[in-house]
Amino acid sequence: MGVDAFEITVNVAKLILIFLMMVQAVPILVWLERRGSAFIQNRLGPNRVGPLGLMQLLADAVKFLFKEEFLPKKAVAFLYLAAPVVALIPGALALASLPLGSPIEVAPFAMLGREWGPYIFKVQGYDIGVGIVFVLGVSSLGAYSLLMAGYGSSNKYSMLGALRASAQMISYELALSLSLVGILIVYGTFNFYEIIAEQQGPLEFGMFGREFRFSFLPDWGIFYNPIGALLFGVSAFAESNRLPFDLPEAEGELVAGFHTEYGGFKMLMFYIGEYGHMIVASALLAIFYFGGYGLPIPSWSTEAVNGFFAAKGFGSTSASLMTALVSHVSILVKIGIFLWIFIWVRWTLPRFRYDQLMDLGWKTMLPWALANAVVTAVWIYVINIK
Amino acid sequence: MLALADYMFYFLSLLILVSALGVLTMSNPLYAALSLAMSMLGMALIFATLDAWFLAGVQLIVYAGAVMVLFVMVIMLFNISAEKQAFSRGTVSGFFKLASAGVLLGLIAGSIYMSAETVFTPPPIAASEKLGDATQQLSEALFSRYVFAFEVIGAILLVIAVGAVALSRSVGGSHAND
Repeated sequence: MGVDAFEITVNVAKLILIFLMMVQAVPILVWLERRGSAFIQNRLGPNRVGPLGLMQLLADAVKFLFKEEFLPKKAVAFLYLAAPVVALIPGALALASLPLGSPIEVAPFAMLGREWGPYIFKVQGYDIGVGIVFVLGVSSLGAYSLLMAGYGSSNKYSMLGALRASAQMISYELALSLSLVGILIVYGTFNFYEIIAEQQGPLEFGMFGREFRFSFLPDWGIFYNPIGALLFGVSAFAESNRLPFDLPEAEGELVAGFHTEYGGFKMLMFYIGEYGHMIVASALLAIFYFGGYGLPIPSWSTEAVNGFFAAKGFGSTSASLMTALVSHVSILVKIGIFLWIFIWVRWTLPRFRYDQLMDLGWKTMLPWALANAVVTAVWIYVINIK
Repeated sequence: MLALADYMFYFLSLLILVSALGVLTMSNPLYAALSLAMSMLGMALIFATLDAWFLAGVQLIVYAGAVMVLFVMVIMLFNISAEKQAFSRGTVSGFFKLASAGVLLGLIAGSIYMSAETVFTPPPIAASEKLGDATQQLSEALFSRYVFAFEVIGAILLVIAVGAVALSRSVGGSHAND
């Protein structure tokens, strides 16, 4: 956690802040979802409560908190009550291990009559060297909460919804993990910071002994592995059970899927879990294919921004802090764009049929992801032959 | 003096042991499967406290995330209750349970007795320095020194998967003719 009181305090505060960030993003996303869907479908959406209907979020939160607590008569109490809590865990753990800004370097300073520092604080909950392996491992636990909810509710609709949802998650997890293999071969590391550092600066690469350089394009992963990015994006939709893959919640046949028997705050926790999954997927998309916390303009690398603030007369600590802030805003904007695409797609495309979903997962996405990994490996081997 | 890491180890070991015991004592197969998942989670956390992050991640992805989820799904789908009774009661099955528990205990006791010397002597310090996040060393060893064994295991697993599909499609069952 840290060597002294200051470092431990900051690290604990970071953990709490990142969790609160995920929780706080949910009402905003719900509002965006309602308003966005309304505009896409030529309606007005929630616009009565407060400016732009923003107070609707507070009203919803109060409603969720004050709804009556109930337990279905035949429910298995432990599983029924534990499922919403378990639903929060994968998203929260995965999000806390993602880098959300450039590291803050704090120079030594005096406070309360003693010397502190120097420190390096990373803008993330905790840094795990193997980054993506941890994120995939934690995300794969998401199916348990659905299964627990489905079994614990003792309801046919919940059960069928849970089975559909978990089968879908397992199927698309394969394509999701395999689609990342290509980009991992390109960068040769699991570590998020090294991956982001590789994507700084303009697009340049060597091929058959020749150098190619595009000074107007950033050095992003999507230019190296566009098929991987596409496959990852599509399987992220399926992983988080969103339309056009939201079969578990097919209202026409399954009422509301695995959370049919849930209401009030427990329902809200499932929502937070689902949106947390979306946020993690968007952040991964940004980190692997769109430069992470780097800025989209090639000459504005993290060092350049740091130098800019230092030249403006900031001290080394505050310049580093400002750089972290800029890079944080940069990745938040990227995440926001991908979240909007999630919402946009939901209100644009119709739902797949279940057998089409499974065919797409096993007979299209999986072979393409495998081929992507193999072709990338062979191609990298071939172009590096002297 | 116990450090934080020691407390973590004892807590996780307790978690693993209790949930492993749960696998045996729970009469509902779904709960047994869930406790097995719990004990796998504990194993992953122990790997993580040893700084073997890659192993921890793989344990989560493969065992807790894929294998056990399938188990739980299948158990849920059939909602076994008659089999549960037949399996957990009865003199004959009780005898077999006792006998197999005795054999297992004998195996464990024998292996501890025979390997006590190597297990209970602390390893030299030099070995523990090489720990840490050794994912790259692991992959290099796997794909250069042990590449033959690695590929053979892959081929065997493929044969198993294809064989399972062939068996389940050819004889009876609802998928026989499609």
